[in-house]
Amino acid sequence: MKGEVVVGGVRFANPVLAASGTFGYGVEFKGIANRLGGIVTKGVTLEERAGNPPPRIAEVPSGIVNSVGLENPGLIKFKRQILPKLKKIKTRILVNVAGFEVDEFIRLAEGLEEENIDGLELNLSCPNVSEGGAVFGQTPQKVEEITRAVRKRTKKLLVVKLTANFVDPRETAKAAEAAGADAVTVINTLYGLILDDNGRPFLGGRTGGISGPAIKPFALFCVDRVAAAVKIPVIGCGGIISGRDAFDFLCAGARLVQVGSANLTAPNGALRVLQELKIIISEKRIKGWESIVGTARRG
Amino acid sequence: MNFKVRVAEVSWLTQEVVSVWVEAPDVTGKTKPGQFFGVKVNKRGDLLLRRPLSVADVRGDFLRFIFKVVGKGTVELSRTKPGDGWDVLGPLGKPAPIFKGRDVVVCGGGVGAAPLLFLTRVLKEKNRVNVILGAKTASELILVNDFRRLKVKVILATDDGSAGEKGFVTQPAMRAIKTLLKPVVFACGPRSMLKFLMENVDQVPVWGFLEERMGCGVGICYCCAVERREGGYLRLCKDGPVVFLNEVRL
Ligand SMILES: Cc1cc2nc3c(=O)[nH]c(=O)nc-3n(C[C@H](O)[C@H](O)[C@H](O)COP(=O)(O)OP(=O)(O)OC[C@H]3O[C@@H](n4cnc5c(N)ncnc54)[C@H](O)[C@@H]3O)c2cc1C
Ligand SMILES: Cc1cc2nc3c(=O)[nH]c(=O)nc-3n(C[C@H](O)[C@H](O)[C@H](O)COP(=O)(O)O)c2cc1C
Ligand code: FES
Repeated sequence: MKGEVVVGGVRFANPVLAASGTFGYGVEFKGIANRLGGIVTKGVTLEERAGNPPPRIAEVPSGIVNSVGLENPGLIKFKRQILPKLKKIKTRILVNVAGFEVDEFIRLAEGLEEENIDGLELNLSCPNVSEGGAVFGQTPQKVEEITRAVRKRTKKLLVVKLTANFVDPRETAKAAEAAGADAVTVINTLYGLILDDNGRPFLGGRTGGISGPAIKPFALFCVDRVAAAVKIPVIGCGGIISGRDAFDFLCAGARLVQVGSANLTAPNGALRVLQELKIIISEKRIKGWESIVGTARRG
Repeated sequence: MNFKVRVAEVSWLTQEVVSVWVEAPDVTGKTKPGQFFGVKVNKRGDLLLRRPLSVADVRGDFLRFIFKVVGKGTVELSRTKPGDGWDVLGPLGKPAPIFKGRDVVVCGGGVGAAPLLFLTRVLKEKNRVNVILGAKTASELILVNDFRRLKVKVILATDDGSAGEKGFVTQPAMRAIKTLLKPVVFACGPRSMLKFLMENVDQVPVWGFLEERMGCGVGICYCCAVERREGGYLRLCKDGPVVFLNEVRL
């Protein structure tokens, strides 16, 4: 069908997805979820997590900084309470999984393998507990190790979400590709620190992640570079709030895009991006998404 | 989802507090006391998040918002003029519980009086309502006449004694609570005020209007966490913003 995008053998009805953590588990606004190319659930960990103390969000010029701290019910309750509802959504569903040990990623992948979902997105932004806090996604070796371990246990679409904090995402993207990932999401939030009037950390989690239009130029830059470095598809993410933003990411080399913070301005944020993107595509008389992917690289 | 409303009337209640009536015929019928709207500040996108504002009153086709000017967003919203369009999302949140045949004490500190006006209008139909309003000084008391027009008992307190009783609003509130048989309390104001009430009443249910920084306002981002006594957090935008105070840690 015209308008579809295929990534790792999975067909997406259109290239716009809701990004993890900004659209709940997708079940809250089913009508919107059904019209998107897909949704990525809020991050799920093996054990239940209460998340960080408030405040969990602050606004900065053209962006936000969050420190939700992965509040989630854990794998077992997720499977029991949320998955049955997720199955009623007729769009592509990627479950975002996060762990603090390699073994946790393995058990999450095993625990979800028999479920009726389309794929996994590995969130490698958590600190590695056994190695004393270095974030998994910051070394190509760790990215490769986790991706390989998960690849062995899943036949589903496997997406690795990369961080660009203190690391060259071209290197971690190559590591993910070598280990068998079907695609990489570029990028997750950037580190941020907000101080209160007394010069102390404002967020309950002390630091947070910056998202929104403020990070778009950097995210676009990363997509451009990563798309040139790997052959697997790139999913662009970071600061997309309009159809024009999404168009830019496709031109920079993304095959799909994810919309995050824009969903906080209204639950139909990602849907609005899709509608605006469709208008741009039709006004430019472009046939099929594929023809614009990577135009920025073609000189 | 979000939609446009037209600003009908703007007035300043104090040097810092603005009252805005908007015309919203499609939602006035389904808007309940305790609920709020997410108001978009500007189109440019440099202020991304909506500002949560409680519904201060509902009359006919009109909704009233009352807010204190505290930062970038409320400064911009305070520049609004009749005829402007506002992009709003709502009504959001769980409505306040509506009792029947009870003695209700409604206690508002500062701009906290705002959402209590709509609540009082609805509660007074089937309950005896005692309204207690406080502020730092007389010029910061808001809505006194609006409450009086509802023909409910209104008691005032100011920190400096320039209007009503001298002292915190919690003094007359505690007195009222103690003289009533099986009262229910609704309170909106600074956290310290809610905490004091909760810790000093015995066996009296207190419902507080809480505030926390919000992202989405609709339950999908998990940013508006309020600590539960039994552990974990509730999502204020979905489980509140009116919360049974015994259930949370203030
Ligand atoms: C459910 C609810 C109902 C509210 N109703 C009213 C009301 O009727 N009248 C009124 O005067 N105020 C109300 N508030 C507080 C009001 O939302 C804030 O004062 C306002 O958002 C401040 O925005 P700002 O841009 O001026 O301040 P800034 O400090 O510049 O805001 C920066 C960010 O913090 C958020 N923020 C700041 N203070 C608060 C706060 N206290 N609560 C939640 N988010 C905050 C803003 O939304 C914004 O994202 C309510 C808050 C909540 C949660
Ligand atoms: C409130 C919030 C929660 C998030 N939670 C997650 C998460 O659980 N897992 C994850 O991989 N990314 C999470 N993210 C990151 C987003 O998915 C996205 O990568 C980031 O916000 C950048 O996109 P944006 O600029 O469009 O928001 C979260 C972002 C926000 C704002
Ligand atoms: S503000 Fe997003 S969940 Fe409450």
